Amino acid sequence: MGILVFVSSKAILSKPTFPFSVTGAFSLIFTLVSLLFFCGMALFLLIQGSPIFFQEQLSFITDADWFYRINQYGAASMIYGTILVSFLAIVLSLPFALGSAILTSEFLPNSIRVYVKSFIELLAGIPSVVYGLLGVLFLRPLIFKWFAPFSPESGDTLLTASVILAVMILPTVMSLSEDALRGVSKEHREVALSLGLTRLETFVHGVLPRAIPGIIAAVLLGLGRALGETIAVYLVIGRADNRLSDSLFSLKPLFEAGQTITSKLGGSELYIAYGEPTHWSAMIGLGLILFVFVGVIVAMGEAVNWLGRKYQHG
Amino acid sequence: MKKIGWIVLAILLLPSILNAKEGEVKIKIQGSTTVNPVISEAAEILRAERGWTIYVDTQGGSSGGISAVGEGFVDIGMISKPISEADRNKYASANFESFKIGIDGLALVVSQPVWDSGIQFLSKKQIQQLYERKILNWKELGGQDSKVVFYNKEPGRGTWEVFSNWAYGSYKNSPLVAHPEVGANEEAKNKVAFHNSAITQLSYAWAENSERIKAIGIQLPTGESVMPTKETIMSGEYPLSRSLFLVTNGKPTGYQKEFIDFILSDRGQELVKKYGYLSVR
Repeated sequence: MGILVFVSSKAILSKPTFPFSVTGAFSLIFTLVSLLFFCGMALFLLIQGSPIFFQEQLSFITDADWFYRINQYGAASMIYGTILVSFLAIVLSLPFALGSAILTSEFLPNSIRVYVKSFIELLAGIPSVVYGLLGVLFLRPLIFKWFAPFSPESGDTLLTASVILAVMILPTVMSLSEDALRGVSKEHREVALSLGLTRLETFVHGVLPRAIPGIIAAVLLGLGRALGETIAVYLVIGRADNRLSDSLFSLKPLFEAGQTITSKLGGSELYIAYGEPTHWSAMIGLGLILFVFVGVIVAMGEAVNWLGRKYQHG
Repeated sequence: MKKIGWIVLAILLLPSILNAKEGEVKIKIQGSTTVNPVISEAAEILRAERGWTIYVDTQGGSSGGISAVGEGFVDIGMISKPISEADRNKYASANFESFKIGIDGLALVVSQPVWDSGIQFLSKKQIQQLYERKILNWKELGGQDSKVVFYNKEPGRGTWEVFSNWAYGSYKNSPLVAHPEVGANEEAKNKVAFHNSAITQLSYAWAENSERIKAIGIQLPTGESVMPTKETIMSGEYPLSRSLFLVTNGKPTGYQKEFIDFILSDRGQELVKKYGYLSVR
């Protein structure tokens, strides 16, 4: 009850009254604590991770020569693996996510829609280690067999990791895109229909263009999730260091084992690094790179989402 | 409304209060996946018989165990290699005590088809060449015509260190390679089993009696080859044997000591044998 009253009377929200109400004070404290966590984490990564950038400078991100036993750290192959795997995951999941979002939001009666959407959203609740194990059991052998002409070393490839990630981010992308599509107001559809457009034309010309910002945001948030996923990737990627192909556009690496930043950080190397300042800093430096990646992408997602809403309502 | 809140809070807190009462004996153990089966079953037994709470975790393998003991996060570490000088230097403030609880062979295991095609023993030189990717096809060793896939144990795993010490004198000299890596024994075993032309380093006990993977013999400089078996590992004829340890920080006391004594007792050593390792007696 209290919450409802609080929300409906906008005056309280816009003009905070002093002294603070208990609810307000608590919200403020918890918000500050969350912010503090964020700042603390960023600070920790920066302080502990920066020494490696002083030692290796740019070669930390441009070279693929991670040999900690001779004190050499180049993370290029991991950065490459992270970007390739996540990007491919988006490419693979987008048709399915978008397809089911369009079907559920535009063409299914409401009674069925609820079930379809919640089932797909259930996928998001499955622990990632389960996805990883399913990948180990079913996907690895399949990839090994199907792509035999490319003579992969084994079923542990960048492609396997991408496919798993594609399934994992499907619910995020689908659900947010569906929200975006349904967010397009009824009037737009009704006007289009009354002008004699078919349902398909209404969708393509009236609804889709207005939902694009929301869909882009959905994709970016999905990408953010893909970048950070650890255990599922760890189990199927093969974890081979320093594999970087000569050409960035070659498809060959897809059928080879590789490494992402998260699979590196998930391994037992962290224990070796512990207590050795340079090596430790290199591991934390990887974390810092990932942190920046995910931060930029999530921020972009939020920004596009915000702009989209402003454009629709304003 | 307020009453319900208090009741909910009480229900939420209840388990932790109850727990605090009964859970007096708590032992935390972390480390090698090779040692894990023995210790986990011992933990089950002690839980049933003495009501102890024992947590066993294999995060990070041997180096994970050493690090957790060195930092005081756990009471006992499981390691599948001797504590090295480097380990002692790294945790200078810790005073590691290790207890030998069993002996294991380290086998090089290949996928069944590789074995069937005639690769049944290799010399140290050949193993080095495989490890350094100088031999890329089993054909070069007289086997089937297929790519060699070397699943390397992650550095930091006891198995890797023991292997490198044997193949290159010291793990510090082992060449810098970029193989696909495997962590836990289960993972290494399954990846080779579901492959047609792979090789990896694996605990002998895990390789014994399993389908689709075969432990190959090692050809000694004298020319004769030795298969890993309990007898050859025991006699030292098979060159790649290693001891398994429990490690503590300082002299074990109280329940820590009781646990280690249990593993070293007849019953504990039966467990060591049950999982395919050799008893220390």
